Amino acid sequence: MWSDPPATAEDWFCSGWCTDAGLERLNALLDDPANDARPYDALSAEANTFQLERYVRPRLSPETLKTYPLDNASDPGFLRCQPWGLARNVVARHQLEIRRRGDERLEMRYGEWDARRTAYLDNRPRPANQPPTLMGHATARYERDALVIETTGLARDRTSFRTEHSDQLRMTERYTRSPDGKRLFLSVTFEDPVTLREPVVLKKVWSWAPASAIAPYTGCVRPTDFSTGK
Amino acid sequence: MTLRRALTLLVPALAIAAGAASAHHAFTPVYDAQRTVTVQGVVTEFRFINPHSMMSIDVTDEAGKVVKWTVEFDGVLNLSEGGWTERTIVPGERLTVSGNPTHTNSPRMFFRKFVRADGTEVMRHQDTRGTTIDEQRRERARLRSQQK
Repeated sequence: MWSDPPATAEDWFCSGWCTDAGLERLNALLDDPANDARPYDALSAEANTFQLERYVRPRLSPETLKTYPLDNASDPGFLRCQPWGLARNVVARHQLEIRRRGDERLEMRYGEWDARRTAYLDNRPRPANQPPTLMGHATARYERDALVIETTGLARDRTSFRTEHSDQLRMTERYTRSPDGKRLFLSVTFEDPVTLREPVVLKKVWSWAPASAIAPYTGCVRPTDFSTGK
Repeated sequence: MTLRRALTLLVPALAIAAGAASAHHAFTPVYDAQRTVTVQGVVTEFRFINPHSMMSIDVTDEAGKVVKWTVEFDGVLNLSEGGWTERTIVPGERLTVSGNPTHTNSPRMFFRKFVRADGTEVMRHQDTRGTTIDEQRRERARLRSQQK
């Protein structure tokens, strides 16, 4: 089982998702003595704004830019307790469990929403009559020390960078481990001819947590008291 | 028991973390990160669940009326990492609880800290992570100044 990383400036910034541009910005802020008195959260928020504005925004299609960033209060996960699709869950905080089932498939389980998916190792195509789903159709392969998973057949849903993706989204995940085996790194590429001008690459990190367990996701309640535009 | 509202202007770690890369469970539409509120009352229920743990607490206001407050916490993983269990808060216990109020000032908050009747203080585990990182930063600054 993999889980949230320990509290270091870089790993915590990437415990949700980050980009190379955002990390570079965060390190520049941390190395500037003028920022020594500012709390970490303020620097982290500034680096996050930087990666959203300088990295994500230029990669969005004109149509997507019209609604960017989407209001958190209109999120179906928040409003209706609708589980997140893969585009968000793949970089969600909390645990990730990857289990190999023979030569045929990998089973993956996420701490967020207690979501599950299958990635097929036999490169089987998506059935022609299978409609798009929140977790899509995934095939997996090993490339030297990396696990590579490609997913299509994703139903339209939100991304973690506050946009919507279309059902033409293709996600390519690349998982690698640190030399000591204690950290797991993800680089995931989003390609969507409808909502993106260029691919968006997000990064994420987990720590090895053999004792961690995923708790059931049973208490989601639809909100009745909230404000829009926050 | 009296209702004590201590609205304080601050920029809490919680808010920034919640509004960062991943919006997670949409903190910002419900809670006002710029303010904190404190109430004192008797716990009637604590549910150690996902996505977020919840507590009900009866608070008596200045007019003697009992108001049922709802306190929302992090999920099971984050609370467990801070050493919490389903018995960390028990019904009947008297607590002073601080957190971020709702935008509408309804009797609800997102947890930051509670104090037991014996004075024991329990902070939100997520907030202690910020402290750990800030300690690492002070060390980074110290090494930087030594290299000059």
